[in-house]
Amino acid sequence: MSQNGSNNFVTVRIQRYNPEVDKKPRLQEYQVKLKAGMTVLDALHEIKTHHDGSVTFRRSCRHGICGSCAMNINGRNTLACETPLKDEVDSRGRVTIRPLPYLPVIKDLVVDRTTFWEQYLRVKPWLVPPDNIPEKEFRMSPEEVEALHSAETCIMCGACYSSCTVIGLNKRYIGPHALLKAFLRVLDPRDAAPGERLADIAGADGVYRCHTVFNCIDACPKGLNPTQAIETLRKLAQKRQKFEAARRERQQHLSEPISVK
Amino acid sequence: MTNDVIIHDVVIVGAGLAGTWAAMTAAQQGVKDVAVLSKLHPLRSHSGAAQGGIAAALNNVRPVAGTGPRGPLEQIPEGDELVDSWELHMFDTIKGSDWLGDQDKIEVMVKDAIDILYQYEHMGCVFSRTPDGRIAQRRFGGHSAPRANYSADRTGHVLLHTIHEQALKHGVKFYPEWYVMDLIIEDNSVRGVVTLEVLTGEIRTIRAKAVMFATGGYGRAFKITSNAFANTGDGVAIAYDAGAPLMDMEFVQFHPTGLYRHGILMSEACRGEGGYLINKDGDHFMKKYAPDKMELAPRDLVSRSEQTEINEGRGVMEDGQGIYLDLRHLGAEKIMKRLPQIRELAINFAGVDPIEEPIPIQPTAHYSMGGIPTDVDGQVIADAEGTPIVGFFAGGEVACVSVHGANRLGTNSLLEASVFGRRAGHAIARFIKGGAELLPLTGDPAERNRRIVAELMDGDGRENVEDIAQELKSTMTQNCGIYRNEAQLKKALNDVKALQERFKSARVMDRSKRFNTDVLAALETKHLLTFSEVIVAGALNRTESRGAHARTDYPKRDDEAWMKHTIAHKSEDGTPRLSYKEVTVFWDRFPPQERKY
Repeated sequence: MSQNGSNNFVTVRIQRYNPEVDKKPRLQEYQVKLKAGMTVLDALHEIKTHHDGSVTFRRSCRHGICGSCAMNINGRNTLACETPLKDEVDSRGRVTIRPLPYLPVIKDLVVDRTTFWEQYLRVKPWLVPPDNIPEKEFRMSPEEVEALHSAETCIMCGACYSSCTVIGLNKRYIGPHALLKAFLRVLDPRDAAPGERLADIAGADGVYRCHTVFNCIDACPKGLNPTQAIETLRKLAQKRQKFEAARRERQQHLSEPISVK
Repeated sequence: MTNDVIIHDVVIVGAGLAGTWAAMTAAQQGVKDVAVLSKLHPLRSHSGAAQGGIAAALNNVRPVAGTGPRGPLEQIPEGDELVDSWELHMFDTIKGSDWLGDQDKIEVMVKDAIDILYQYEHMGCVFSRTPDGRIAQRRFGGHSAPRANYSADRTGHVLLHTIHEQALKHGVKFYPEWYVMDLIIEDNSVRGVVTLEVLTGEIRTIRAKAVMFATGGYGRAFKITSNAFANTGDGVAIAYDAGAPLMDMEFVQFHPTGLYRHGILMSEACRGEGGYLINKDGDHFMKKYAPDKMELAPRDLVSRSEQTEINEGRGVMEDGQGIYLDLRHLGAEKIMKRLPQIRELAINFAGVDPIEEPIPIQPTAHYSMGGIPTDVDGQVIADAEGTPIVGFFAGGEVACVSVHGANRLGTNSLLEASVFGRRAGHAIARFIKGGAELLPLTGDPAERNRRIVAELMDGDGRENVEDIAQELKSTMTQNCGIYRNEAQLKKALNDVKALQERFKSARVMDRSKRFNTDVLAALETKHLLTFSEVIVAGALNRTESRGAHARTDYPKRDDEAWMKHTIAHKSEDGTPRLSYKEVTVFWDRFPPQERKY
């Protein structure tokens, strides 16, 4: 591999593992010609289509909205489609790609997200609407919506979940992604069940399990802050009844125009 | 190998907006056994990539009087005169479709629009808001009122997550990462599908009383595209192979603002919020092509204008194949608030911060107007007479109702997928509750599909699947793109047929059963080759220019000869057999006019 030292080629090291045939994971190297604007996903695609079709990974939208291609690149969880290849090349001309940690490997870079989705379901991600549904929309102020953007933007890629050291030890923990979803519902003035939600997430597997290591913030490709959402949920859980009363009061006026100052 | 046959009352293929709406609605109507299959996890569906908005004449905002077509918007005070109506939305859609959309169906869509927006909102969808708390609206191309209801520039994302949550709430069963390979129709009624479970590689038949295809569009047949890897038109190809017709396949929308070289979308909301298109001389060239609407003319017209600028040497970037999208005058605050994802994408993929610099863009294959023909309730029809294929439904981009005709307006696709997905859900519920039966199958359809996969893995051919796919995309882009003519289309047809031949020797590299995405890519490429022939055949036969179909050798619209839908059936020898279907026109209300913007 005389190309190895050349500036134009990158050594892409991919963790290979098919549990049906392999005893343990191994790193396999591929030489990829670096092209302008190439992302890590482009490099994987090049390898799969022309070097080794058995290299396996998930991908779809290629612009950071579908959440398929979260993986561990040089030790950091991120989306392959948004990561420029040249930024990841180390001094020896190498990039190392592994599957998301703490999750069972299905094949190569594809992980089993079963527990991730179970926790998502557990927080009942759907809105529980109030009894009185207006003919038109519920009225919400731009500020109320603004608060939800810090959770609504989540693409459920799993980068945070599989960076969380608590998840590494205990898969019963609800996890940053599902707590962020719970936060979205709790904060939404249209939701009629914030009290039950707060009671659930304040239980043994919930917000108090978070060790505030902040890995999830570093991992999130959307720049979200699950730790802060968890902090907020802890505070709200402590004054749950007051919060529920305030919600009931707010819901008396959900059909009325927001008064503009 | 397992021969277990799975049985469900209803199988829906595809978990974007159309499929999930149908599943949720059928479940809500009391159908107990609804299964949704997707080759992805449902939340990875491409509906989630939609950015700018979803159309409905809610009358929440209006242009500030006297500020012109680019001026600011304000909320309409309670009790003030309204600026929008479903009739206006209907006319805009008909004109946008270049009079190829069926007017009775468009009427259904624009009327249902208002109610479905409120249903989304009541289900918890996070919309941006006006100061008094109503759903925020912005301008969009080809719409004569601000009726694009939005959530910043992530509208598809919030709609998809909302409807997926609701389907879970209603007990819909999802099969994530189950690929559908085949559709079984016998005696004009549906029997089930053949699936490949991606995790295990097992190929099984799923029998069902009703099957709905909601598998999305076919933009991956082109080199530069906004579409996800997944948008390989599986549904159109599988349905066509199973004997269902395809309609208006030659109409492919090229979106004016794909990121240069990448093709990923820079939302039309960029122009809706006031962005300009400029050429290498710094000219706002759209005033030449669409003096009234300028940047907010419909997509077909704007893409052609850009391509003309490029062809005449006024493009930007080193190869002259780009155009600039300039947002700088909008200011940092508006860009960060209204177009945050666009800014992030431009920075990540082009190294350009739109606050500081214009974004290099080019036209990108974006939306498939054609597809499987249906009525307004998602019922697939077998011919121009409207004979139903019993138990077979379709909705969303895979379907052709047709509401978009020759060119879709921005924000009408999220609307179409939602409205017709919901209507299909009701129709499926009526069908099941009306006593639909599980019909028997002849033979073992799974077996012939196992042979297809075995041949890809174990045959002795040496053709590389990706090389074939790339050559297909090149010829489709060069010869069946924004502008087309007879010589180009004949070349494309020959190329597609030659590539179909070569595909017979295609082999995959991965021989394992478990999670074999190499096999999936090969099957997807086979589908690209199947429907591309139909696109080209329809384009070659249609000797006129209408909407997104622009023939340089027939530059005029020809209503006398061509105000009709193309219907393609697969004939015995495998080539498309074309016939035509009348467009529904309300002659007294919306007769054809010259299309000027």
